[in-house]
Amino acid sequence: MKKLLTAILAAAMMCTTAFALTGCGDESSQGADTSNVVSSIDDLPGKTIGVQLGTTGDLEATKYEKEGSKIERFNKGGDAVLALSQGKVDCVIIDNEPAKAFVAANEGLKILDEPFIEEEYAICVAKDNDELTEDINTALNELKADGTVEKIILNYIGDDIGKSPYKSPDGVDNSKGELHMATNAFFEPYEFYDGDTVVGIDAMIAQAICDKLGYKLVIDDMDFDSIITAVQSGKADFGMAGMTVTEERLESINFTDTYTKANQVIIVKE
Amino acid sequence: MGEFFQGIADSFTKTFITEDRWLQLLKGLGVTLEITFFALLLGVAIGFLVAIIRSTHDMNLSNRKCHVFGDYVLKVINAICNLYITVIRGTPVVIQLMIMYYIIFSSSREGIIAAVLSFGINSGAYVAEIVRSGIMSIDRGQFEASRSLGFNYTSTMIHIIIPQAFKNVLPALGNEFIVLLKETSVAGYVALQDLTYIGNLIRSRTYEAFFPLITVAVIYLVIVLIISFFLKKLERRLRNSDH
Repeated sequence: MKKLLTAILAAAMMCTTAFALTGCGDESSQGADTSNVVSSIDDLPGKTIGVQLGTTGDLEATKYEKEGSKIERFNKGGDAVLALSQGKVDCVIIDNEPAKAFVAANEGLKILDEPFIEEEYAICVAKDNDELTEDINTALNELKADGTVEKIILNYIGDDIGKSPYKSPDGVDNSKGELHMATNAFFEPYEFYDGDTVVGIDAMIAQAICDKLGYKLVIDDMDFDSIITAVQSGKADFGMAGMTVTEERLESINFTDTYTKANQVIIVKE
Repeated sequence: MGEFFQGIADSFTKTFITEDRWLQLLKGLGVTLEITFFALLLGVAIGFLVAIIRSTHDMNLSNRKCHVFGDYVLKVINAICNLYITVIRGTPVVIQLMIMYYIIFSSSREGIIAAVLSFGINSGAYVAEIVRSGIMSIDRGQFEASRSLGFNYTSTMIHIIIPQAFKNVLPALGNEFIVLLKETSVAGYVALQDLTYIGNLIRSRTYEAFFPLITVAVIYLVIVLIISFFLKKLERRLRNSDH
């Protein structure tokens, strides 16, 4: 028995050492590899693509899995970009505006000129909550008609950033109680933290809608892939996080009218 | 009522059949087991080594001054081991994993090696304290008897003390292995496709919470049951020598 134990112990130590050594070997051979350059959409097959779990970029990139691409899915878009700048992935597919924010914050990255796909954002509401869907649609269309939505978007995108912030009109009543919005606040400029409050296009549009409807807005920050489940199960009343309408999502959830257009783009190393 | 069952059947199909998702779950299970297995080996190796150093120090040097050069070396190594245990036990494993992946292995694509190393190093600290408690629990008389029979220090450790200690700490070690298996569920943080990650992936595609979460939970439970079964068997085997 004693001999057996000693043998097991010795074997364990040897395995570990051998494993650690092969690990080092892998690393050095990876470092010399420079053929992983993505310069257009046609280069995507066979590459390692970084995305944020559950986003449109993830859904679209997954189609390349059949062509030999490897999809690395991160909980946050920022982690995918960090992995890109460290060379762990060859490119990152993500929404246009957050991509700009990421590229601005990280040296040595650039966005490819051709957009990957075009899409439209909408707000998601639980299937059995038709009343809220209609209310939001009414409010949203009024806000679109009087130019509030456009103003909010221009406050965050383009040359006039910060010039037309949304302010709640005087004397709004929020007598109807709270309306919880589920979002993933790592998605500049749609939703992101300014100090400890969530701001951005989605947050401001949601605020405007709540002002119109007479609710008090409460923003719940969570992982992107939890948003739809949270709305479905009633943990939040609606979800707003740069969310695109897709067939698969429509099976589980309702969407309001769309409120803005966006692109998915490819970020690569310079 | 029929609609209700139809709904369940639909979400079952979506969770398991569509796009061969059961196969993905199986692959995820493979990754979880791979990480756990190698981390376990690493953890046990580190753990036993550190435990032997720490207990040698405690048994020989804790109450007296250093005499020879070797004593000073042991003191230094013991201090390093202490530091290792303090740092590793004092920080969350998710943070250690991210440090390993984003800082130490920043130029490598091998997420799995980063995961094995960080889980192994993490587990090693706990195993070290478990094994040390086992070594310290062996009566001093065993040690003295062995020395008087002509065994030197090393062979006393290997042939007399560690086998007895191992039997004492087996339940606690089993605990640690089970904890390790479940801790690997955070591997998704560094984009590793382990079991929990695949569960989240399916959830993000189907927007169904029930089947993916319950399935993943049941799979973990079954593996833990299998591990405890074999641990119990090993414990019984080792107890045979008591009679």
